[in-house]
Amino acid sequence: MSALDPYALRIRGRALAAARAWFNDHAYVDVPTPGRVRSGAMEPYLYPLSSGTMQLRTSPEFALKRVLASGMGRIYEIAPCWRDREHGPWHAEEFLMLEWYRAGASLEDIMEEFTSLVAHLCAALNLHPTSWRRRTVGQLLLEHAGVSLRDATAEDLSEHQESWDDAFHRCWVERIEPHLDGSLLVYDWPASQAALARTRHTTEGCVALRCEAYLFGHEVANAFDELTDRQILLERWNDHNALRVSGGEAPHPIDEALLDATGKLPRCAGIAVGFERLIAVLCGWDNLHRAQVSP
Amino acid sequence: MYQTSDIRKGLKVEIDGAPWTVTEFQFVKPGKGCAFTRTRLKNLISGSTLDRTYKTGETLAPADVEENEMQYLYNDGEAFHFMNNESFEQIEIPPTVLGKSSLLLVEEMVCRVLFFKGQPVDIVLPTFVELQITYCEPGARGNTAQGVSKPATLSTGAEIQVPLFVEQDSWVKVDTRDFSYVERVKR
Repeated sequence: MSALDPYALRIRGRALAAARAWFNDHAYVDVPTPGRVRSGAMEPYLYPLSSGTMQLRTSPEFALKRVLASGMGRIYEIAPCWRDREHGPWHAEEFLMLEWYRAGASLEDIMEEFTSLVAHLCAALNLHPTSWRRRTVGQLLLEHAGVSLRDATAEDLSEHQESWDDAFHRCWVERIEPHLDGSLLVYDWPASQAALARTRHTTEGCVALRCEAYLFGHEVANAFDELTDRQILLERWNDHNALRVSGGEAPHPIDEALLDATGKLPRCAGIAVGFERLIAVLCGWDNLHRAQVSP
Repeated sequence: MYQTSDIRKGLKVEIDGAPWTVTEFQFVKPGKGCAFTRTRLKNLISGSTLDRTYKTGETLAPADVEENEMQYLYNDGEAFHFMNNESFEQIEIPPTVLGKSSLLLVEEMVCRVLFFKGQPVDIVLPTFVELQITYCEPGARGNTAQGVSKPATLSTGAEIQVPLFVEQDSWVKVDTRDFSYVERVKR
């Protein structure tokens, strides 16, 4: 796709070393997990690549949660991941995902660690540090689209005839995301988009305890206050599979080991960072492929 | 029909009965949502722009557009007559489609004509054309306090600005995109 860029690869290398040093200093254990897995994803719009009878992971989350449930309290992995049908300046079929999980942590704790890590990377790369603002999805919807998250119907969010979640995402892409400049932590997503996060009731309705970090308009990280309920996870998995099947897609294989581990998880939080995307955005590049060696 | 994965710069699509071309596009995928392709489109007739977002799975209608090289023949007072250089087919283009371009047309000039559903809708002249000045003030008389240029009328009827040293009856090269003077030419 692009020519090799030794300058960008040196930056990525320096950032990887700095990240590992940060995790060492914070008593995290580096736990590499397999790239080939029984189930590559549970979310409806992730498309794992096949590898023989197995799939390639779209994130190391399932395996790392099994490790967390086994009793390790602070773990991280910088994991090559694969996602089919994602192409463009800011997407690559294969990319590095940095994930870490901490037993006993809240969403706030993990976002504090994220901002601390980004500050550490900026220092290592001689970049200006960023100061993070925070908003809820409800505040952004009201501010930029003039609708209330709790009361908005699909018709309020989109002129197209589509599901509430699709209408929300179209509104997000067209009317909210173009306004997300600087560094922003976005909390309290619609409960229907909780994925593997727990939910709670707020004045904006039932929301997912999820946070997405946006840097200069690009989503660079997604964190969960992790779901620890086996039954709820199974219900969501089945709902997502029903949605996939209705759209003509194959259902995601249900990862029984993950279901069991989820029921044994302590209260915990975790975060996933698109590593090359983060580096490219911090450095002001116009794509993440500069920080990769093309296949 | 085109799929969102077919979206490229230069793709020509029909929206609300008009032809548009994609000038910019970006794949976007919200964290937990389906993928979209953000596009910026330019109207092939009016030049106006439009932003549209397409969800993966949505389709775009191809625009029935065709571009042909056509030679300008003559103007019969009502329409401008052109000939397709390959098929020798002759067509009439009304002055409304030509707009200001008609003021720089010279016989035998080869232009690119855009057809939408078989009808000519736009014309692109060669970037540069050489024309004779049929009228302008002599250099000295046009030399006003502020003036570094003066108006000149071309053989085709267009009026452009030329430097003061350019004299009547001389030939000049003109940029058809903005009607600007480029240089004098010897004929």
